[in-house]
This record gives sequence, structure tokens and C-alpha cells, in this order.
Amino acid sequence: MAGSGDLLHVVTNDNLPAGRVALGRLVMNAAAAILIAVTAAQIADAQGWIDLGFANWRPTLYAYVLWGFAFCWGQVLTRGEQGKRALFVLPAALFVVSMVVFPLLFGLVIAFSDWNLSSPDGRRFNGLDNIRQMWGDPFYWNALLNMVWYTLAIAVEYAIAFGLALLLNAQIVARKFWRVAFLLPLMLSPVAVSWMVGKSMLEPRFGPIARLARALGWENPSFFASPEMARLSIMVMDAWTFIPFMMIMILAGLQAIPRELHEAARVDGASGWRTFWEVTFPLMLPVSITAILIRIIFKLKIADIIINVTSGGPGGATDSVTSFIFREYRDRSNVGYGTLLAMVYLVLIVIAMTLLMKLADRWMRPRH
Amino acid sequence: MKVEHYNMAVRAGMTRRRLLQTAASVGAIGAFGGVAPALAGGHGALRAQILQIPGVGKGSPTDADWQKVGELCLEATKANVAEGEFAGVELTFMGLNNQNLHNFLFRGFLKPWEAYTGAKINWIDLAQADYNARLQQSIATGTVDYDILEMGAPFEGDTAGRGLLDEMPDWVKTQIEADDLVGYLQPPVGTWNGKSYRITIDGDCHTFAYRKDYFGEGAIGGAEVPKTWQQVNAVSKALVGKTDPLTGLPAHGYLDPLKGWGGFGFYFIANRATAYVKHPDDPAWLFDPETMKPRVNNPGWVQAIQDVMDLIATPGAYPADQINADPGTTAFSQFLAGTGSMLMWWGDVGSMARTSDTSVVGDVAAFGINPGSERRYNSAAGAWEETANEAPLMAYIGWGVYVTSRVSGDEKKRKAAWSAAAHLGGKDISLWMAAYPSGFQPYRNSHFQYEEWEAAGYDRAYVEDYLGSNADSYNHPNAAIEPRIPGIFQYYSVAEDELAKGFAGQYASAQETADAIAAAWEKITDQIGRDSQIALYKASLGL
Amino acid sequence: MGTQIFHDTETDLRHRAAWWVGRIAIYGALGFWAFICLFPIFWTITTSFKMAPDVMKGNILPWWDFRPAWLGWRSLGLSPDTIGTVSTPRDEFMKRFINSLVISVSASTLAVVLGSLAAYGLSRFSYRFGPMKNADISFFFLSQLILPPVVLALPFLVLYKSLALLDSRVGLILLYTLTVLPIVVWIMRDQFAGIPTELEEAAMVDGLSIWGAFLTIVLPIALPGMVAAFILSLVLTWNEYFFAALLTSTHANTLPVMVASQTGSQGISWWSMAALSTAAIAPLVVVGVLLERYIIKGMAAGAVK
Repeated sequence: MAGSGDLLHVVTNDNLPAGRVALGRLVMNAAAAILIAVTAAQIADAQGWIDLGFANWRPTLYAYVLWGFAFCWGQVLTRGEQGKRALFVLPAALFVVSMVVFPLLFGLVIAFSDWNLSSPDGRRFNGLDNIRQMWGDPFYWNALLNMVWYTLAIAVEYAIAFGLALLLNAQIVARKFWRVAFLLPLMLSPVAVSWMVGKSMLEPRFGPIARLARALGWENPSFFASPEMARLSIMVMDAWTFIPFMMIMILAGLQAIPRELHEAARVDGASGWRTFWEVTFPLMLPVSITAILIRIIFKLKIADIIINVTSGGPGGATDSVTSFIFREYRDRSNVGYGTLLAMVYLVLIVIAMTLLMKLADRWMRPRH
Repeated sequence: MKVEHYNMAVRAGMTRRRLLQTAASVGAIGAFGGVAPALAGGHGALRAQILQIPGVGKGSPTDADWQKVGELCLEATKANVAEGEFAGVELTFMGLNNQNLHNFLFRGFLKPWEAYTGAKINWIDLAQADYNARLQQSIATGTVDYDILEMGAPFEGDTAGRGLLDEMPDWVKTQIEADDLVGYLQPPVGTWNGKSYRITIDGDCHTFAYRKDYFGEGAIGGAEVPKTWQQVNAVSKALVGKTDPLTGLPAHGYLDPLKGWGGFGFYFIANRATAYVKHPDDPAWLFDPETMKPRVNNPGWVQAIQDVMDLIATPGAYPADQINADPGTTAFSQFLAGTGSMLMWWGDVGSMARTSDTSVVGDVAAFGINPGSERRYNSAAGAWEETANEAPLMAYIGWGVYVTSRVSGDEKKRKAAWSAAAHLGGKDISLWMAAYPSGFQPYRNSHFQYEEWEAAGYDRAYVEDYLGSNADSYNHPNAAIEPRIPGIFQYYSVAEDELAKGFAGQYASAQETADAIAAAWEKITDQIGRDSQIALYKASLGL
Repeated sequence: MGTQIFHDTETDLRHRAAWWVGRIAIYGALGFWAFICLFPIFWTITTSFKMAPDVMKGNILPWWDFRPAWLGWRSLGLSPDTIGTVSTPRDEFMKRFINSLVISVSASTLAVVLGSLAAYGLSRFSYRFGPMKNADISFFFLSQLILPPVVLALPFLVLYKSLALLDSRVGLILLYTLTVLPIVVWIMRDQFAGIPTELEEAAMVDGLSIWGAFLTIVLPIALPGMVAAFILSLVLTWNEYFFAALLTSTHANTLPVMVASQTGSQGISWWSMAALSTAAIAPLVVVGVLLERYIIKGMAAGAVK
């Protein structure tokens, strides 16, 4: 029996013998019971009611993993075909839920408390004080504004990536060489990029880029002195690392466009430019939107380059939210406030991404 | 010897004759068992011998060199520990991972120790910028997973104050000859509540490094080396447009780091400020001891910030992109590479100028004490006094090796940990660390025996200049020492952020910048707990 | 056929010239961008062979501007003269290298396995877990990508401490799997959407169960996509710094932490850092060169439908 809405329409014979269902239920319940028992024992031990000599919470972890396996197996046993289908998604779902739920809850508790790691008092709940502090924190709002600038730069990155993809899709020789060369920047770690490019190549006296700038007529090249220049330098470095990512997504999409469409357009007399705008580009829209969305997500987390090259300077001009939170969290050990800033940022991003995705959906829907 | 080595030695001021002389004298000393005057005991030969590894002017030391030095300095350990006594013991050492310094050295030094005692050491390497955060985190979450710790004295409040350190046994005090330490490093530094916890391996103060080819008769910086901050600023402004005699590039004056660095950047604005705000009659200069009210926005501090802003406003006074220069940049990418003529930094800029691969100013670097000021601010009276004042800053006080209370229950492990720590804090090995790039400055009275340095190949005049500036600062009656209170680096870090904004022009004036810093400091004090901070601040000042 | 009968007309010749101009433009652009991509990497490699004065002067070409030396590689213990000896920096480097390798490969593999299964399920069936339907479940997976790491830093520290997973490879593997799972799901979902369902239906009519159909029919077709997702995960986990610095100390450290700690208050040895960066990027370059065609092939498929 196919579930309603399933994309796979198959008829299956699902006469589950009662014994099998009972076995399935037994397995699940037994594992659940073990888990509860072990957890209870460890809580009791931690509280000091009974002394079982547990060194850490590993036994609970093992019991949980056992329960996970048992649950999955039990689903197959009790629900047959439906169970097998659920089995595709269950492991990943269980994994994510268990890795995220507890930390997120604990994170919420920290976010609403006043916790300075140097303070002898430890963690103290302080209600909405952190939110009030955030509201009046000029560094945070400055960083949020910077994120808007950084995100707008993605438009340029997209254009360049598209152009490169078109180039790679054309009739060229030594295709593999070009593709590998263009792919390499993605492999370099952001820390290495910030040092070798940001500090070594962009060094104002002798760095190669400064020499080039002098050769081109710029008297006193300095890439991080003014706020705009500093932001531009950071954007350029980040773009250099990530353009290959968008490029391969777009290239993949381009290669999937059948040749006949291009030829048909040419037969119809369209010039190269019109072919592009009216045939290629619209077909690439879904891929483009996916690429841009993923790129936005990564861009919103930019931190390593900023921390290592400018520490958010000059005067906060290049600060991103993550780099600011990083400073607040690590240098000032202000983990309660830092966690709250991160939570607020998360909420903002989730809202923004949801809106964007809905917009994208609506934009693409008329095509179907 | 290879041609490059010879050339480097020549560059470092040695002639072929001196080099052969040195080799001969070492041989002679060795043959006669350390007869040279002023070298104590039979140690003299050993000390001269280790100073020849790899030799002044022969490039930076390598792993093989560290292992050799560690091997040679093992005698003190052998006196207290039997061979293989710690077989099966595993220790964890947490320290910095700066390239070719700190942990790199320790690994090399301790390899022979591990071979002799049978213990094994696991290493936790930290980036300097991560250090404070990692320490705080491990304390707050109870994840102290190290037995031996390389730590700066400012953090004693966070660790010893919470019972996380193991008290030093007496045999260790004897092995490291603790009475050899210079004055300011004797107790109360290194102690908490009267108990000793610290094996000192470093003395820290900021000294004034300058280019002697900029000053003197007919030189571009003027006839006299600046002695006060007023003069430093004047010279920096006057140097605009002139050419550096060594590199041919534009000349620059004093190098201020305008970007922060994990809190350490605060020391540099403090250098400028101590001359104004550290009054000889008052041990406190950052906070009011009775209330913990910050003094960082009093007129003295504001003047220091204003001095920096004056230079920012003078085009060409600083090298390009100075707003992106952190302390490391000013010392290594600028001063040691030939840009700029004046710098305040830790003393190891002195030994690095001669022995490090990155330096081109070995021949023209000279050293002095923190510039003073023609006038000073009296916080108690609330007014300026037109009296000259000098106040060297003992920035960071110095690195030390501590043992955590993780080993307190296990006698064998405890002895092993202290033995490893004492090996690093030994008298002879510390001489090597002072003379070669290590990250550490001289800190014992026995480090100031100039004959030993000269025999090693240092130019006598150079060594007297460099060591002399350190010694003058260490023994200065008006030295400014920072408080060893919990969270001190948080104050510094937030000050760096506000200063960065001020230097970038986002505050209207130096006063507004200073007020912003003061407001942020008050918040931190309240967050950590005002009463406990007041008590600890007073205790660290000895009040 | 002696004399030529058909001659190129004016238009044809002009077309020829235009073609040449086009060719030059294309190759020019390609070369220009290749230069931009490769120069920093070239710079990194050559810097690892420089000595201090060369670094300060910014010399570019080896053997032309400066004489190469082994300083940088010696500090890692990888130069010709130190390769045979006992070298403590090299031991450290190899330990972290192996850690990075093991952790990245394991995390990527685990993520690809879990993610592909989940993506397949989401693309074929409609689920209801409580109030959450397919689209919500997808969004749940993808939202992990949006999570800023610093939110979970301290909670993970505490969690791992209580589970004794601190400073362990397993701990990092689990965490990295979590961070790259969303990307795998995203890529594979598009992949599977592009594979027509008739294939599985035919197989199931022949008697295979759904899992059998998946493993024997669908998986081979989706392999390029899985390889692409694997490579991408590998790159992301290899270069991850924040959690590696937070959750490891001695046994499970990775390379990015070592690279980042090359900075300190005693200056930067550029040659060592360059050597380290080169050594850190080398495996990824090898993977990229060998598996490059899978990446493009893998990202294609359901993208344009």
C-alpha cells in the first residue's frame, strides 16, 4: 500500500504476522527500559543517593545508542514496509536530534544568564538583562550592518562565478587543467588564507600586491587603513576562497542543459547575448538560487579571516557578527552574553532564510 | 665554516679574529675547568659550553640544539632523581606554541629528561591569543586536563586563588636556586597567601628600543635620544619626509601598535601612560584601591591617548596601514625589519635583533628605559605636577611554570611534574634561554654576568646596553606592576576594542574614548564581583 | 580539382577574425583567472623556501630573485637533512596530520551515508513525524548549517566532558558529521530528484524490497553525487578550526589549530607557516586533482528540471 503523497507508487504486500509485531514492540520496549534504568542509575549516582562508581556518563550514551538501534529495528518489525521507508530518515534524524537538542537547551539557559568565566560566582540567571544589553550594544549593531554589506557582495561573486562557469563550459582545450586550477582556492583553509594572503601578500611595503599597486600608480598602497578599503579587502579574500564553490554548482547546471536548446535558439537567429538571457539564464535560475542561498549561509558565518587579519578593525569597520561574538566570548570570557548574541543572530538568520526561500519558491513556481 | 655563516657572523659584529679567539677561549676554559674570573664554580665551563650552541650569529637554533642543551643541563635533575624513576608516569604540559619558542624549546629541552627519567610528556599547544580563553574555560568548566602549566603571573589570581595549583616543595626551591631571582620577582610575586607556586622562567618588562643610526651628530632624528614622551612625539613629527639611513625607505619615528591583540595590546598604551599616571607615592595606577573605580579616564591617561591621536593626525608619522598593526607587527614586521626608529617592547627584542633570522637591525639597535615625562598627574590630589617622572612597566610580569593540583594526590606523579618544571627553571638552562630566541628575558642576577655573554660572541657594548636597560627597569623604584586579579585580560581586551574605535575616529576625542573604556571596566568589575575584586587588588599591591 | 571554386566571402572572413578574437578573449580570461587562483598558492609554496631577508623584500621568483633554502621545511622536520633524524616538531606535525586525515574522512563518510539515506527518503516518501512533514524535516536538517558554532560551544564542552569525549577523535567526528550533514542532504536531494522513480518501481515489481532497489539500482546512479558531497565535506571538515581548538588538547588535535598557533608575541616565521600551510593543503589538492571530474558530474542531475 502506497502512502498518500508518496512519489513512489508501488503496491506491497504487507501482511504482518502478529508474532513479528509483538517481537518488534518487545525489542523497542526493552531497549527503552534499559535506557531509562541506566539513566536513572546514573542520575542517582550523580546526586549521591546511591554509589555505583560511575566515572562519567558514557553508560547512558551506550544505552541511548542501543535504544536507537532497537527503535529502528522495531519500526521495521512492527510497521513492515512503512517501517522500512521510515528507516531511511530515522538514523539521520535521531543523530541530529540527539546532538542538537541538549546543547541547544543548555545554550538557551546560558544565554539568559550572566556568566563571566573569571567570576568566582559562576553562572547566575539574570532574566532579560542580556537582551537589554544587546539592544544598546553599538558593536553588535555595527556588525549586523556590516553583514548586510558583506551579503550584498555576493551579487558580484555570483556574476564572476557565472562568467567562469560559462568559460569552462565553452569549447576549450586542457579543460581539466582549468577546472582543477579554478577549484584550488576552495581547498585552502581560511586561516592559511588570512595569513598568506591577508598578511603576507597584502603587506604594504613589499607584498606583491602592494608592488603591483605601486606599478599601477597608487603611491602609498594600504589595504586596511580606511574602513571601505578594509571591507573591500576582506570581501575580496573571502570571494577568492568561495567563488569556486558557486562556480561548480553553476557549471553543473550548465552542463545539464541540452545542446538542442542552444542550437534551436541559434537557428532562430538569436545572437549570443540574447541566447544567454532568454534561454540559458532562465533555465539556470533554480541552480543559481540554490547556489546563492548556500553562499549566503556561508557568508553569514564569516569569521576566521576577519579575526586573523583585522580583528574587526579599523574601529569595527570589518567586524562580522561571528567575529565580534568570538571576541566577546573568548577574550572577555563573557559567555552568557556571547551565547545570547549568537542565539539572536540565529533567529535573525532563520527568519531571513525562510523569507528568502519562500520568495525563491514563489519566483520559481510559475516555471512549473 | 660555511660562507653564509661567516657572513652572518660578520654582520653580527664579529671579526674572524674574534671568532677564532672565542673558539680558543672556550677550549681553554674547558681545558682548565672553568677558571675564567667571575664565573661561579665548575658551572662556568658548562655555561660557556651551552652558550656556544649554536653560536651567536649562526642563525636561529633548531630542535637538535635544544635537545643538546637540555642534555647538558641535566645534572641538577640527576642529583634529585634516579634514572628511570618515573617510568610509566604520563604528564600533560600546557604551553604556547609560538614558532620556535616556548613549547618548541620545552619539547627539545625535556626530551633528554624524558629519556633519563622514563616519564612521558604529552603536550597541549596553544596559540597565544587563545591562551587566556582556554585557561578560563578549563577552570570554569572544570576541565583542567594538564599537570604542568606555562602561565603568566597575571593569571595567578584565577588559578592559585581558586586552589588549582600545587604548592612548591622545598627541594625544588633548592634545585632552582630561587634566591638568584631579581628583586621584583621575589615574593609576593609567585606566591598566594604566603605559599609559593611559581617556577619563574622569564622576567618581563618593556624597554625602549631605538635605532642608534637615527640619533647623534648630524643624524636625522636629532642629536639626543629622546628621554620623555614629549620628546618622542616631537621627534616622530620631525622625521616626516626623511629617509631611513639603513633601508633607504621613508623614515618613521615611534611605532605605536594601533590594533589590539588578545589583550596584550593594552600594555603599549600603558607604556605611554605610566610616565604620567604612576606616581612614586602610590602603588596603584589602574584602579582606585578602595573602590575599584577605574583611573583610565583621568587626565594623565587621556593625555597618553591624545599623544597617540596626535601622531595619527600627522600624515606620514606612522608607516602605511599602521591602524592594522598589532604589537607583533610593530616589532617584527617593522622595527626588526628596518622600519621605524623607536619601539617599546619586551626585552627579547634585544636578543632577537642579534640572533634571529628575521632581523636586519642587529648592528644599529640600542636600548634604554621607558621614556619618562616632564610632568605627572597626582591622582590623590587630582592635579598635574610639573615634576619629571619615570615609571617602567613590568608588562606581564613574566612567564612561569606551575604545577596543577591534579597531581597532588599522587606522590610519584607530583615529584615527576615538579622535576620537569625544575629542569626548565634551572639556573644554567635559563642563561641559554636569555641569550637565544626563546620568548624569555633575563630574570636572574646571574644572567647579568657580561663576561659570559661576551665569551659567547656577543659584542660587549651591545650586551651592556641591552641587559643594562633590563636591569635598570627591574630595579627601578617606581616600577609599575599590573594587578594579578581575576579577569585582568578582559579589562585589557575591552579597552583594546574601545581604543580601536577611538583611533579610527569614531569617538570625538581622547576623553570620550577613555570614558568609554572606564564605563566598560566598571561593567566587568560588577560582573566579576566588586567586593572580591577590591580585596584581591589590594592584596596584589601589598596593601 | 585544381583551382579553387568556392572562395570565402567577406562575411566568412570577418567571421573568422571574430572567431579568433573570441578565442583570445576566452583564453585570456581563463588565463587571467587561473593566475589569480594559482598565484597565492604559488606564493605560499615559494615562501616556504625563503629566508628572512627574502620574505621582507617580497621576492617572487625562486632562483631568479632569491636562493631557495630549507629553513621552513626544517622547522617542520621535513627537510632533506632532518628527514632521517628524530625531530620533535615532525612528530607533532605527523600526529596532527593523521588526526586530521582520520577525522575528516570518517566524518565525511558518516555524513554521506546518513545524509544520502535521509535525502533518498525525503525525495521518495512523504513522512509525518508528529506535526512535521517532509518540507519541515528538510528544513530541520538544513537549519543545522545556519547554526553559528559559538552558540553550541560551551554546551558541547560540558556535554563532552560528562561523556568523556573531550580530546577524542570520536567526539570530533560526531560533531563534524553534524556540521556537514546538511550539505550532503541538500546535494543528494537534488540528485535523487533527478532519478526517475520508474527504475525502482520496475525493480520492485521484479520482487526487490525498497532497500534492495535502493542499494542495487539507485545507489550506483547517484554515486557521482555522493563523491561530490564527500569531497565537499572533506574540504569543510579538514579546514575547520573553531571546534577543533575548543574540544581538543593533546591527542586529537588537527592541522588548522597548528597553523593558527603559528602566530605569537615573538613574531611570525613566515617560512614555517608557509611550509605548514603547504603541507596542510597538499592532500586536498591531490584529492581535487584525482576526483575533480566527479565533482562536476555529481553536482549536475536534478539541478535543471
